[in-house]
Amino acid sequence: MAKESPQKKKMKRLIKAIWIMNWFNSCGFCELVPVVGSRWDMERFGMIVVGTPRHADVLFIAGYQTLKSIKRAQRIYEQMPEPKVVLALGSCTMTGGMYWDSYNTIKRLEDYIPVTMYIPGCPPRPEAVFEACAKIFKHVEEME
Amino acid sequence: MELEHIGKNEYELFFGPAHPGSGNFSVKLKVEGEKIISARADPGYLHRGFEKLMEYRLPLQNAVLSDRICILEPLNWNLIHAEAVDELMGIEIPERAKYIRVIMAELSRIQSHIIWYGIISIGTGFDTGFKIAFGYRDYILDLFEMITGGRVYPAGYICPGGVRRDLPQGAEERILKVLEKMEEMLEFERMENPAHLERMKGVGVLKLKDAIRLGATGPVLRGSGMKADVRKDDPYEVYDKLDFEIPVRNEGDAYARYMIGLEEIQQSINIIKQALNDLPDGDFIAKEFKKPKLAMKIPEGEVYVRNEIARGEAGIYMVSDGGTTPYRVKIRGPSFLHMIPVFEYLLKGAEIADVPAIYWSLNICPADLDR
Amino acid sequence: METDILNKINAKFEVEGEMQRERRIWVKIDKEALINLCKFVKEMGFEHLSAISVTDWLKEGEYEVTYHLWSYKDKILLTLKTRIDRNNPNIKSVVPIWGENAQIHEREMHEMFGVNFEGNNDLSPLFLEDWEGPPPFKKDFNWREYVREKYYDRGNEREISYFEEV
Repeated sequence: MAKESPQKKKMKRLIKAIWIMNWFNSCGFCELVPVVGSRWDMERFGMIVVGTPRHADVLFIAGYQTLKSIKRAQRIYEQMPEPKVVLALGSCTMTGGMYWDSYNTIKRLEDYIPVTMYIPGCPPRPEAVFEACAKIFKHVEEME
Repeated sequence: MELEHIGKNEYELFFGPAHPGSGNFSVKLKVEGEKIISARADPGYLHRGFEKLMEYRLPLQNAVLSDRICILEPLNWNLIHAEAVDELMGIEIPERAKYIRVIMAELSRIQSHIIWYGIISIGTGFDTGFKIAFGYRDYILDLFEMITGGRVYPAGYICPGGVRRDLPQGAEERILKVLEKMEEMLEFERMENPAHLERMKGVGVLKLKDAIRLGATGPVLRGSGMKADVRKDDPYEVYDKLDFEIPVRNEGDAYARYMIGLEEIQQSINIIKQALNDLPDGDFIAKEFKKPKLAMKIPEGEVYVRNEIARGEAGIYMVSDGGTTPYRVKIRGPSFLHMIPVFEYLLKGAEIADVPAIYWSLNICPADLDR
Repeated sequence: METDILNKINAKFEVEGEMQRERRIWVKIDKEALINLCKFVKEMGFEHLSAISVTDWLKEGEYEVTYHLWSYKDKILLTLKTRIDRNNPNIKSVVPIWGENAQIHEREMHEMFGVNFEGNNDLSPLFLEDWEGPPPFKKDFNWREYVREKYYDRGNEREISYFEEV
């Protein structure tokens, strides 16, 4: 068996079960809460929603962020322990989306927080969230 | 945020945006032991400046933007914006379009009350209610996908002039089946649950005189004893031809507001059944809009439209000066008044453990607060 | 019903009133007589203040302040309109008449348009934190130019097209 890098060893421990931080704001509320609900049950995959960033592995930035709330999101990101993953949902995180000419929303999330993966959609369907998690697993396996 | 001078036994608590029991808002509490002395609300986490965004766009583009004023009931905001443009332009809407608009608005109201029930349950410790509510809500979202094309955002389905597409074939039978499922869910929700009773009875009492002075509307005002509903007092669309009741309670506490929400679901089911029965044939959109020119001029004038959405009274004040885009749009959302005057008033003298129960019983949507 | 109310107001104050359709009355009045008219209509039964709004008429150099009032007893919506100067926007507050309901609406209009309501003791910022620009909703503050300068950069090949068209 080839020797695994320390980064891969760390990440392999992540993929047993992903714990998500409860930062559902703006448009993500409407499509992420059904993921917790009984139709697209995410607990069968081992994912639960936790209340504090100290326990969390994954931070979902779902939807547009304003100048006021991106400051809070940055502090939450800094409080999460390594290894951590940031998933950006929606088209507002990529280019500004529908509010591209608003004076108070941010236009590109990667200027503020390092992003691992973008999921497009307005809003993205719950199945897209599961596919993104599957891609994280595959990415970790193919890592060296 | 600055810390103010506080006395010897008091301390300050932030009940903020990243709390598992809160939404997208934050409240600064001054607490002594377990009792709250005063509260100060801190909104603005979702402020996009909607009113000025609408001044840069044409009315047909605004129809798509208007779903996103409040995420939890997009079709109702679609409806009120379309009514404002219709009244300014002086368009006659065909009867079939009016009935379809009423059916979609009432389905959206049921869906919003289901979210209300689910979130109250999880806030007061009854997890099963949350799972069941969100499971049943998906029947309505699949129905929306069949009729309008989108599960959550219908992309401006109710547009100025009528509705964008007619009901597809098989929609009417499917709506009746979904309503049966909703009645099944109501039988479960009406069971009295000790968690709800203990945590919500006698908590957050709002008397009638205070409710009118602080500007409460909708279920909050009806829970305090006043029989007022925009659908009956200031009728729009075809509500004056439909027969329904308005539930009212006198106690004014969180439990009364929550029970009104449940009874309103039953009334909405009755309205939809009547509207489906009386649905006439005809056009689904006015003639001027069948092949619309994108840049139609809006005649000069101003108009104020009121609607009853699930959370209370909504209003749009639109002014036009003869151009292709509106000159000024003012959006009045019900949660604006419920959050800052009413919530700060109810928190005086309450205990910390009651804060989620009071907050969720007011049914605040932070998005239509900040716009 | 609507004409009765208009006649009562016309008998006591100098106004320009009209009935737009059923349940809608629009009344224009001067700034000085506004507070007395507000007290008068509140006693007539208009106890619910639905919204306060400000419109910026740039060409005429004026702000127009509108008050939308609803009466639960008679079921009629009355709108009062008055005009103030744009460069020096001061007007008396209606908080003594309608309470905290009016206070929060005036706080928002102060932040968005810069209108000063005399008598309102809580005009602190509501939605914006550390904002140093002009009041955002004024007509001479062009958002598309502001966003272009602040958020997009010319070095990025994806965003260069925003600088070419208006």
